[in-house]
Amino acid sequence: MQMSEPSPIVLVVDDEIQIRRFLRTGFELNGFVVHEAGTGGEAIRSATLRPIDLVIVDLGLPDMDGSEVVERIRSWSSVPIIVLSVRSTEAQKVHLLELGADDYVVKPFGMAELLARVRVALRRQMRAASGEPTVKVGPLTIDLAARAVTLNDKRLTLTPKEYRLLQVLAQHAGNVVTHQHLLKEVWGSIHVHDTHYLRIFVRKLRQKIEPHPESPKILVTELGVGYRLAQSGEAENGNGNLTAAEESAKSET
Amino acid sequence: MPAALKFDRIRKELPGVCMTLALVGVLTLVLFTMVWEIGLAHGSVVYLIPVLIAATRWGIVSAIIAAICGVLASAFFFYPPLYSFRIVDPQEVINLILFIFVAVVVSQLATRLKNQLEMARQREIDLRDLYAFSRRLAVAFDVSDIHAAIEDHLATVMQRKVVLFATARDASGSSGQRAGVTVPAQVLTAVVEVASGRRDANNGVTVTADSSDIWLVRAVSPKSSEFGVIAINFGRESQENSDELRIRVDAVLADATATLERLGVAHAISEARMRSQTDQLREALIGSVSHELRTPLASILGAATVLSAAPALQGEKKLKALVNDVRDEAERLNNDIQNLLDATRISSDGVRPHIEWADPADIVNSAIERCRNRMSDRRIVLSLPSDLPLIHVDPVLVQQALVQIFDNAVKYSHAGSKIFVAARAHDGRMVLSVSDQGSGLTADEQTHMWDRFVRGDRHAMTTSGSGLGLWIATAFIATNGGKINAASEGPGLGTTLAIELPVTQAAVPQMEGDADE
Repeated sequence: MQMSEPSPIVLVVDDEIQIRRFLRTGFELNGFVVHEAGTGGEAIRSATLRPIDLVIVDLGLPDMDGSEVVERIRSWSSVPIIVLSVRSTEAQKVHLLELGADDYVVKPFGMAELLARVRVALRRQMRAASGEPTVKVGPLTIDLAARAVTLNDKRLTLTPKEYRLLQVLAQHAGNVVTHQHLLKEVWGSIHVHDTHYLRIFVRKLRQKIEPHPESPKILVTELGVGYRLAQSGEAENGNGNLTAAEESAKSET
Repeated sequence: MPAALKFDRIRKELPGVCMTLALVGVLTLVLFTMVWEIGLAHGSVVYLIPVLIAATRWGIVSAIIAAICGVLASAFFFYPPLYSFRIVDPQEVINLILFIFVAVVVSQLATRLKNQLEMARQREIDLRDLYAFSRRLAVAFDVSDIHAAIEDHLATVMQRKVVLFATARDASGSSGQRAGVTVPAQVLTAVVEVASGRRDANNGVTVTADSSDIWLVRAVSPKSSEFGVIAINFGRESQENSDELRIRVDAVLADATATLERLGVAHAISEARMRSQTDQLREALIGSVSHELRTPLASILGAATVLSAAPALQGEKKLKALVNDVRDEAERLNNDIQNLLDATRISSDGVRPHIEWADPADIVNSAIERCRNRMSDRRIVLSLPSDLPLIHVDPVLVQQALVQIFDNAVKYSHAGSKIFVAARAHDGRMVLSVSDQGSGLTADEQTHMWDRFVRGDRHAMTTSGSGLGLWIATAFIATNGGKINAASEGPGLGTTLAIELPVTQAAVPQMEGDADE
């Protein structure tokens, strides 16, 4: 995010005033404009009335379930949505992603973690809006228009299925894509439960695209949920360590 | 319908009568030959044989027919005037009376004997069923097992369709489809009435459902409502038959409830109900504790991370250190809460693994990723072969177990030491091992380290923790069909903890040949 760009507007939906307060401070310190909503109804009204770049929504709201807010907003808007939740079973995460949430963060969480997810979501939205056809993850470049994949500027040869897998992940670069979604997109809906297809292909793909396939930094596993193509910064320095992420967050603003 | 009944009767008797006639015919042929060949004078007494056989085997009708035929045959063939039914000798009249008398008496005796035999046999079957029933009750695990046992017992003994409803709600909530039996709506209504005590049904209520299908609805036991209400389908029976069946149901239920009472089943059932309520309460408590403790913790941790990155604090080293302490301690508290929740989940049997095909390397890598902060001042030496077999496990549970093991390795080793992490397939098992260069284990520690809330005495003063970690790890791995082994050369020589998981190589589903065109 450059300073010349207008400040992104984030809508924070949580019934706990303390959570809203630290999120507001954290976001404002990082150059965001913050709107708040304490209930689902308020959130939906707020999202229809004003232009918003991103929504952060808590699952436990007094008037409706957070997933309902996700569903209702998603029915007319493609604004990025990140869900906060204290409950954290993998099945729930999958369900939320299927409803249209872009990402989820389990409470309690650090501000740096949330900011990192927010930036990924905003970048994706921006890329989608500008029609930018290339996705860069560290040394890996995926040109979606030319269907070309290069690692350190060397062209890679991928099989059609391997490319399709990478393509789906690149379209959601930075965000988790569920097993079911990947299986459906690459192998078709009759194979949505054949997780072993994915395991075997991801292993092959990592051998080609990862500088160190034994500890992957580009095609990252989200255990029990799906896979994620790392965001640009993450793959380069390789440690998603809290302090390191905070340093980079600071330097970026 | 009397005509039909008569026809039925005839049909029932017909084989016996035919056999009798055949018997008399054969005997006559034999006697006739003997009279002719050997010159036997009187053969009529011999006709007692078919009479006796018919009486014992085929009942009174056949016996009397045998008697009459016998007398007729001897009159025709053996008494003068030959080949005429005319009887001159009064001896023949006495024979006839004698034969009929024998036929009646013997057949009565035989019938009675047969009935007694049948009853004894039935009694033996009943006793055997009852014995099987009480044996099944003895191993019943919960209330639904006991109800299933009662249901099956009645169905076996009565040879009818039997459905047991535990409570009124059970009946009103069900759609009528139970265990492959469709229960008509009228019967369900009757069950609800009986179960809720609105209808006194110690002797049962007879419900005639559509097309004269008769159902008997009654409480299993008049004394205790815990056993539920049964509905028995009699089918299309006549009034007499269904009365008979009702008496039989009474007898069977009396036996069954006697067994139930003897075993104290009613008490057990109500206790089980109470236990399940306690479980529900515990579940609710876990849920609310998880939420109530974590919500403020989320504010604390979030605020601390905002503060520690705030520009105003960047010049203030001491203040920043304080804020970082708040953040670290909040994180630790969060881990402790998570451990307590996991432990409660395990002891209330609430761990349900979501099994899928997983890459062991993914599990190891994401566990390392989760612990990156905590292990930042250890050197991790990773050994992950690229050809590891897939394993069929809940990857999240295995990862959590691995995180606990990493925590342990960090806790009991010093900064700057190495932690070796390796995965290898060995002997049909996947072994994920973590070795540290830390304080090792004494023999005593090796035996007690798996217990809940146990921490080594040597470290109680210097390290923190609840002593739940390894216990949770063991339980999570056990849910996936594996185990954890510990090895140490001795105190000060480091520890190796190894997770062993089954590899079912043969069961890995094949990919379609054209999976990658």
